Amino acid sequence: MQDRRSFINLFVRGSFLTGLAFLSGALILRKKEGEFCGLDFGCNRCDKSESCNLPEASLYRETVWQLDPAKCIQCGRCATSCVMTPSAVKCTHVYAMCGYCDLCGGYLKPDTKNISTAAENQLCPTNAIKRKFVEEPFFEYEIDEALCIGCGKCVKGCSAFGNGSLQLQVRHNRCQNCNQCSIARVCPSDAYSRVPASKPYLLKGIEQDSTTAPKINLGEKGV
Amino acid sequence: MKTLRLLIFLVLLSTIQTSTYAIQRFPKPEFESGYTQPQTLMPHGRAEILSYLDVAVLIIALTFISWVIIRKRSRNWVFWTSMFSLAYFGFYREGCVCAIGSIQNVSLALFDSSYVIPVTVIAFFILPLVYTLLFGRTFCAGVCPFGAMQDLVAFRPQKLGTRLNAILGIIPYLYLGLAILYAATGTDFIICRYDPFVGIFRLNASFGMFFFAGTLLVSGIFIARPYCRFLCPYGVLLNWFSRFSRQHMTITPAHCIQCRLCENSCPYDAIEIPLTEKNPENRKTRVKKLIIIIFLLPLLTFTGGWTASLLHTSLAGVHSKVKLARQVLHPVKDEKQAETFEIQAYKSSGKPEAQVYQEALVVLERFKTGSWWVGSFMGLVFGLLIAGKMLKKYDPDYVPNKGRCFSCAKCVDYCPVKPEKN
Amino acid sequence: MEYFKPSAKLVGLLNRIALSAGLFAFVICLLILVNYYQLKRSDPLNSPALKVLVEKMRSNPDDEQVKLEIRELDLLARKAFFTNRWQIRTGGYLLIFSILIIVICLKTIELIKPKIPETPGSVTATFWSERLLNRKWITYTGISLVLVSVVFAYLTHDQLGDQLERVTGKTAGKSSNQVTMDLAGSTDENPAKVTTVESSIKTDSAIVNLDGYPSQQELNSNFPYFRGPFSTGLTFQKNIPTSWDGKSGKNIKWKTAVPLPGYNSPVVWNDKVFLAGANASKKEVVCFDVATGKILWETPIEKIPGSPAQSPKVNAETGLAAPTCATDGRRVYAIFANGDLAALDFTGKVSWSKNLGLPKNHYGHSSSLITYHDLLIVQYDQSGDANVMAFNGKTGQRVWETSRDVKVSWSSPILVNTGKRVELILVAEPNMVAYAPATGKELWRIDCISGEVGPSAAYSDGIAFSVNEYSKLAAVQVGDTPKVLWESDEFMSDIPSPVASANYLFLATSYGTMICYDAKSGNKYWEKDFGTPIFASPMIADGKVFALDKKGIMHIFRIDKTYTSISDPPLGESSVCTPAFADGRIFIRGDKNLYCIGK
Repeated sequence: MQDRRSFINLFVRGSFLTGLAFLSGALILRKKEGEFCGLDFGCNRCDKSESCNLPEASLYRETVWQLDPAKCIQCGRCATSCVMTPSAVKCTHVYAMCGYCDLCGGYLKPDTKNISTAAENQLCPTNAIKRKFVEEPFFEYEIDEALCIGCGKCVKGCSAFGNGSLQLQVRHNRCQNCNQCSIARVCPSDAYSRVPASKPYLLKGIEQDSTTAPKINLGEKGV
Repeated sequence: MKTLRLLIFLVLLSTIQTSTYAIQRFPKPEFESGYTQPQTLMPHGRAEILSYLDVAVLIIALTFISWVIIRKRSRNWVFWTSMFSLAYFGFYREGCVCAIGSIQNVSLALFDSSYVIPVTVIAFFILPLVYTLLFGRTFCAGVCPFGAMQDLVAFRPQKLGTRLNAILGIIPYLYLGLAILYAATGTDFIICRYDPFVGIFRLNASFGMFFFAGTLLVSGIFIARPYCRFLCPYGVLLNWFSRFSRQHMTITPAHCIQCRLCENSCPYDAIEIPLTEKNPENRKTRVKKLIIIIFLLPLLTFTGGWTASLLHTSLAGVHSKVKLARQVLHPVKDEKQAETFEIQAYKSSGKPEAQVYQEALVVLERFKTGSWWVGSFMGLVFGLLIAGKMLKKYDPDYVPNKGRCFSCAKCVDYCPVKPEKN
Repeated sequence: MEYFKPSAKLVGLLNRIALSAGLFAFVICLLILVNYYQLKRSDPLNSPALKVLVEKMRSNPDDEQVKLEIRELDLLARKAFFTNRWQIRTGGYLLIFSILIIVICLKTIELIKPKIPETPGSVTATFWSERLLNRKWITYTGISLVLVSVVFAYLTHDQLGDQLERVTGKTAGKSSNQVTMDLAGSTDENPAKVTTVESSIKTDSAIVNLDGYPSQQELNSNFPYFRGPFSTGLTFQKNIPTSWDGKSGKNIKWKTAVPLPGYNSPVVWNDKVFLAGANASKKEVVCFDVATGKILWETPIEKIPGSPAQSPKVNAETGLAAPTCATDGRRVYAIFANGDLAALDFTGKVSWSKNLGLPKNHYGHSSSLITYHDLLIVQYDQSGDANVMAFNGKTGQRVWETSRDVKVSWSSPILVNTGKRVELILVAEPNMVAYAPATGKELWRIDCISGEVGPSAAYSDGIAFSVNEYSKLAAVQVGDTPKVLWESDEFMSDIPSPVASANYLFLATSYGTMICYDAKSGNKYWEKDFGTPIFASPMIADGKVFALDKKGIMHIFRIDKTYTSISDPPLGESSVCTPAFADGRIFIRGDKNLYCIGK
């Protein structure tokens, strides 16, 4: 009786172990049969990067969440839906794209009469944008990350009236890299996806970053 | 607006030079005052190498706790190991990556071949299962930060009674089924979303989740480890694997002397008390009932599948594509409310209506198949649970139930038997 | 008793500490709740009072008093917001701290208090009766779960699936009508004769979105251009057969006679293969069904305004239809030796067409087309007035045009992704030039080639390769400051283009020698003389090199440091066209027939 029981136990244990081995093997090694990877576009968007043997591919294995500013419609949910308070999504200023406008659509309310830093003119609800005079007629705008709540109001203004140099981005010093991003779930425009941890930011408009930024396709809605 | 237009004009006049970037409304100014443009700061997240450290810590912790439980047999050591895990996997790693959540990554990877599953996540899924197959649920005892947290507050554990245990014990199976369904269809990771403790680890969560966590912890004072016993989907797998484990923690280090001192020591009702009574039903009736149940299994499986398939539209309703299709199909007629953001985004994307519907239909179809599977699984679980309640392995000694026991070693302290000296 | 006294005192103390910590935690908890409720109830950042003031200011923009009020209120609101958040955060820490104290106290009590096992009660013989009850209860739970589910399903059933199915059926029909109507409008000017239009194709094309452009994945899974999805000779196809025989019909799925001659190669999109053909009197685009080889439609390209009446004089080896078509999954584009450029939708109707002017090209124009996003890119290197231009694929509008100071050439553009950006690389005497495909802006150039350039560039891993007869083979590191990494003048090609894998460069010469170089260093690994001229460009697919010689024999060999032949299957017909690979099949245009090879 005891022998039979221990034999069954052994058998089941063995099959469980084999099953686990097969499962992990399948998950790790799948798609590895291809000896060839067309490096051209391959390393950037190829879905084989997980199994790719090329050194570049190792950079694309770990992923983090990022939102694509090209798809973002500034609905304001990033500010409220993140597991972190304040949100890990904040406005990022791409200086290289900025026009240094005096009349900044991201800084000032649309119908502002006098261009000044007075509270009634400011678009940002938390006064997180610092306006600094550079030279006539240019002004530098700097985001104070401690104050920014990621509401995207300035982003909306800048993309509507300016160059779109203010962009919402997941700031990885704050992001918890949750297994499933809670903002991605509610994002109306599917702007969130997992991107390679080695290239964690998706900026729009610089060179052709938004079109060629390395992005692993991770299926629907990047889940 | 006038000023703005004037400005555009002026700027265009002043710098008729094409910028190196994409065409922009306002070209980048040429500064004369020697102003240097600041760098856009883009901080990186946690270094990738550290995720391998996590796996290393997991292996070390699992090996250590297994040694503590099987060889050292000390409740104190188990406690301090679990405190370490609570500190590392809980408060330092903030509950992520965890073995419980990895179920979803694995199922998504199995069903969506384009999903890239990190090797570390596979390790977090596989390793605890392998150790459980070898040593029992030592993972639950000393590595899982959730277990450690709940163990910490279990001050006045009460016996729940077999009936409540049996009924509440069904929940994890349902949770597991739904979690796999939602992960495999790429809808959501519900285990992570309704993870009560991760908010505590991060000191940051929505009010609802804090409330859930608080309730669980307060009830955890009286009902030991409520999450582990009545919710944890990974526990289902560990339960199955532990039943066939090679070694398992024993209450007594040598021979049970039937002193009954450990009888009430287990806060999880996981000690099998030796049977002193005879089964009132005779053998013939028992065999007959068992055969009936086994023959009923296909019917139960079918009933479960059918019932769940009725719900597939409701289940799929939370999928973003289905949500969008529903909104496009039935636009909100409320005068006050403007278009939802989803509709706005959909309109600006220029996607044809037919495609939205087509995609939603594909999702619905997947949910239909998926819910059949989940329902069938639940039907099977019910059948097997009932069948399991008919069988009893006879043991003359006090032994832990290998499936339910968390190997926490609390009972070990109650045993007066000294280990035999070799 | 003596032994227990100090610990009893300690236990009492610890109990009291725990109790007060508990009370403290309770108070903190309440405070946090209140705070949280406040923040939720009246978000200071969206205060209605502030909004009222702003409205007031709008109607009366010069009221300094209102402005002052706004400033004060705004400051107050922001202060309230950040203080509130600070309070919640600090409260959280205090709560955790007090709970920690409670836990430590209670754990210590547990430790000091001696463990006295409860005296077990009398053994009750209820095991089996309880088991019976458990079974019953599980059954009840199951039944009620089923009942609740059924009731819930009945209550929430909104037939979304049925509705969607109905609507998709309807909308598909509607949009198909629209498509045909639009096309009917355009056919007034271009009375394209559509010979065969299957009804099934109609519905297919209705679902295809005619706007936008294909994703890279779609491109990769098809064969949209000459030499594959980047026009570099690389494909992502799998399960490509390596043995067939055109004579015996082994692994030949079908073979269909091509109506008009042409040296362009097939391109494939999902279920359709496209070819162009022309003779002195007629030019046309032909679409074949991938599954059966049946000609789905053949559309003549004619009556294009500005098109020269006489077909140009061309070399017989080039022909009037040398450039390969390109497709973006919405339309197929074709260009002919007389400068006629046409876009056709997948039902064979001409979407738009135009003449680019008779190219001054003494052998005949042969640069193939390529698309980038929604742009159709045309390399038009005629003598004296070479340029490259891009048209909107949907409308045919010219989006950009960049003039090129190069001699006439017969090479085709390639698209490469350098990791930083996508570059459009063109070769012609005297240089290799990269353009930004979206704008046509020149990115860099390097002098590395001369003569009447026929072969297109190859590319791999940051290195582009150019080669031409009586010139040299050059490996150019691409980027803003390009440089020649290595050169060789031992072997050169004048017709087939080279192809590069991650580490190797394969060069085929028109006299039939295949040479393998180390792509990074230029080391020659091997050369192999096939003894038959090679006009078709070698391709890399499924991890192997496929080189078709003029007799129709496909030389299949490994990507390796040594020449390892895999097989040499014959087509049974001579061919000079580059094969296309899609979905486990190979499409080869022979002299007379189009072959589909598949397992």
